[in-house]
Amino acid sequence: MVDPQLAQYSNTLFNVAFLAYIVAMVCYFFRLAFTRVSAEGVAASTTAGTRIGWLATGLAVSGWGVHLASVVTRGLAAGGRVPWGNMYEYASTMALLVVAVGLVVVQRRLSYGHLMGFVLAAAVLMMTSALMLFAEAGPLVPALQSYWIKIHTSAAMVASAIFIVGFAMTALYLVKDTAERRVAASSAYSGSTVGAGAIDAEPRPQGYEAEADLMEVEITSPLAQRQALSPVLFPVVPGLVVALFTLLVWRAPAAAVIAGSVAALLGTVSWYAVPYLPPAAKLDNLAYRTIAFAFPIWTFAIMAGAIWAEEAWGRYWGWDPKETGSFFTWVLYAAYLHARSTHGWRGRRAAWIGVTAFVALMVTFYAVNLFVVGLHSYAGIS
Amino acid sequence: MTETLPREPQAEQAPGGSWLPDIPGPWETAVMAWRWLRRMSTALVLLFALATAAVLATFVPQEPVIARTVDSWRTGVAGPGQGWARLFDALSLFDVFGSWWFMALVALLLISLTGCLVPRYAAFWKAARCQPPAGRNLDRLTHHEVMRAGIDAEAALAAAERVLRRYRRRRTEAADGTRQLAVERGHWREAGSLLFHTAFYVLLVGVVIVHAFGWTGQVNVVEGDAFTDTTLGYQAQSPGRFWDAAKHRGFTAHLDDFDVSYYRQQPFVPSAFVSRVTIEDQGREVIREAPVRVNHPLIYRGMKIYQARFGFAPELVMRTTDGVELFRAPVLLTQSGPFWLGREKVAPGNPAKGMPQIGVDLALLPDASIVDGQIRVNSPEARNPRLAVSLYAGDLGLTQPAPLPSLDWAERDLVGQAMLRPGGSAEMVNGNLIVEFASLPMWSGFQVSHRPGLGILLLAGILILAGLVPSLYSYRRRMWVEARQRGDGCEVVLAGVALQRKPAFAEEFQRIRDQIAAALHTPRGD
Repeated sequence: MVDPQLAQYSNTLFNVAFLAYIVAMVCYFFRLAFTRVSAEGVAASTTAGTRIGWLATGLAVSGWGVHLASVVTRGLAAGGRVPWGNMYEYASTMALLVVAVGLVVVQRRLSYGHLMGFVLAAAVLMMTSALMLFAEAGPLVPALQSYWIKIHTSAAMVASAIFIVGFAMTALYLVKDTAERRVAASSAYSGSTVGAGAIDAEPRPQGYEAEADLMEVEITSPLAQRQALSPVLFPVVPGLVVALFTLLVWRAPAAAVIAGSVAALLGTVSWYAVPYLPPAAKLDNLAYRTIAFAFPIWTFAIMAGAIWAEEAWGRYWGWDPKETGSFFTWVLYAAYLHARSTHGWRGRRAAWIGVTAFVALMVTFYAVNLFVVGLHSYAGIS
Repeated sequence: MTETLPREPQAEQAPGGSWLPDIPGPWETAVMAWRWLRRMSTALVLLFALATAAVLATFVPQEPVIARTVDSWRTGVAGPGQGWARLFDALSLFDVFGSWWFMALVALLLISLTGCLVPRYAAFWKAARCQPPAGRNLDRLTHHEVMRAGIDAEAALAAAERVLRRYRRRRTEAADGTRQLAVERGHWREAGSLLFHTAFYVLLVGVVIVHAFGWTGQVNVVEGDAFTDTTLGYQAQSPGRFWDAAKHRGFTAHLDDFDVSYYRQQPFVPSAFVSRVTIEDQGREVIREAPVRVNHPLIYRGMKIYQARFGFAPELVMRTTDGVELFRAPVLLTQSGPFWLGREKVAPGNPAKGMPQIGVDLALLPDASIVDGQIRVNSPEARNPRLAVSLYAGDLGLTQPAPLPSLDWAERDLVGQAMLRPGGSAEMVNGNLIVEFASLPMWSGFQVSHRPGLGILLLAGILILAGLVPSLYSYRRRMWVEARQRGDGCEVVLAGVALQRKPAFAEEFQRIRDQIAAALHTPRGD
């Protein structure tokens, strides 16, 4: 049964984690500014950068612990069920997974700790949306009372969280690649790192060949890359996109302004951070590996959903808006993976497909549940 | 595939003849279409078209999913307007997934997939049987290592072979007597990819079988009542094209009892609802009081009975003051906020001959109380039910093929109103008619379905995943170990190259090098 006291604790813990993430994000961005990355992807920080990096990591890790406690108490407060029974809980748990993927994979395994600021930004935006979707802790309606909620929904959340991290990498790749190309075009000194044998290329018809050496891209002139990009478009475009999306979905002008400003700030940070980002080829590869990891999980989530639908409603697939949404998201990510191995589509075009696929994922999660409300029985609660 | 087609030999141009460009003949057009379909870019464009269709179908209501909203878009009550609705109808946007152009899109994708897969099968069949080729110019490869060992060349190669035992191996000997071990691994990448794509044909077969040979029906039953599994036993059904009506099992399912409970803290959210069903087949009771609830269907002889809907079904009796019973039936009500509403025709009448049509409009308040003259519903449970009965007589449009709730019953046809408690009755129409609220059973709505071929779909799902994972993670790589006799010992060259996942191969190469070095008892990085 619902325990209001425990639910209150869960909300407090959520807010603490939210603040910790925001501060950690700022620290990570400071750390980024104190970092230099060479073509091999080796990051070097100044002493101040290292210190602030430790602070950021500490905050992110402890924030994650608090967040985990919030999610667990929420489940307990709602009568000992899974803590992803409505959109607020789903968004919160997804943010938890995004931070986990960021800390474990991006920072620890791949040693791209200086990109963590962007991962945390995604988590913070996710948690903001969770706050806007807030619903009191409550029990599950009969349609959700099945062990499939543990299998299907958790798979969808894990895949979405990894896709979100993948999107952060894709967006950074596009930014970095643009900068590299423009600098190359103006100086004719060094080109984009993409296509230089660094990416996970598919077989060439000639058969086995010696790999070309990585083209050395020196971070000699940070300002050149930054100057190659427009300081106006970078805040304006993401700001407008996010503000419009928020306005369309929630019809809340104030929220749209706040979300838009946060996105604009992120745009400015990524503009400022361009010189310190790893080479475009590395980012592209990272985005690909992340998305390729999440894709089978997403596939499994859709299949588990179909099995559940067959068990609960007597049809495995009914082109219900949520099903349709997950389907076009799947198709677009499949298109990304195919484009990545198709001559003439690799690189930027594939990355734009990845961006489209991510937009589809967000539409499936937010817009379908909020916009198309009333079309299907689980709108607003799943 | 960008090469241009060989042109037909230019026809003799008549003097002052046509300057029109050459029109490719039917064969050239077919070949060109086939080549276009086989291109990966085409497949990508088709995938985009598929995604676009799905996006449209998300935001335009779909008739098979939610017919009522589509109707309100067509009549202009909701949606962007009737002009748009006509356009949507012309483009089949209200039924995207049943439209001819969606079918054409899927067909094109399948043709494109086939065109892509057939040559790949052939190439894979060849490549999979091929022995690893001998390596040349090993020192030019990025992954390349020279080691020295105190054992002879043959023993060194044997040691390397033990390390690389999980690879496909081949020993070669060059003309100059250099012995080489060539190894290869990672055919699973292509095999997985082929399996993944082939599984979509299995999926298609499964979908076709389920839809062609399956059957789905809807039935609403009042407590104490029953339905029989025959063609006439259901209120709505959607049989597959090849469904044979003789396949109905003919059993009878009795709804013994229906129970719904609500959450105490959120009183209008049901916590559970369950029907108890007894099945009788050929005069024998085969299943007794089995619970049917959401997520837990009852399966009997391949027919699945799902709990779908429920509601109140107050039993209404109408009789004349002389005691002639005119009507006695439970009326199925559906939920609308805290109320339960429903309509029923009492007498079909014949307005043309001056016989009025008689209908009744009901509203049930499960737990009613009157506070300050306002009617309130305190809980969804039938603790203190009240039934508001409105009797209509006149031309009610009962002959129209429209559902009763959508009919517009005029105020002037209202001939009587009463608020009844269970067991209570009231006189209406100047005391000529007695209306009684006899009892308050529940009704339960079931979806019954027979769906052969689900196993094929499950198999397709398993194949898709089983193919997908190796197609993304496995990678093809080759390595060569060459040993040259140098005095007592030998010089060993290890080299390798990967076609995909190069960073992963870099790690693997390091590991293999260390293992071979250990096997040769040489210091690392010599």
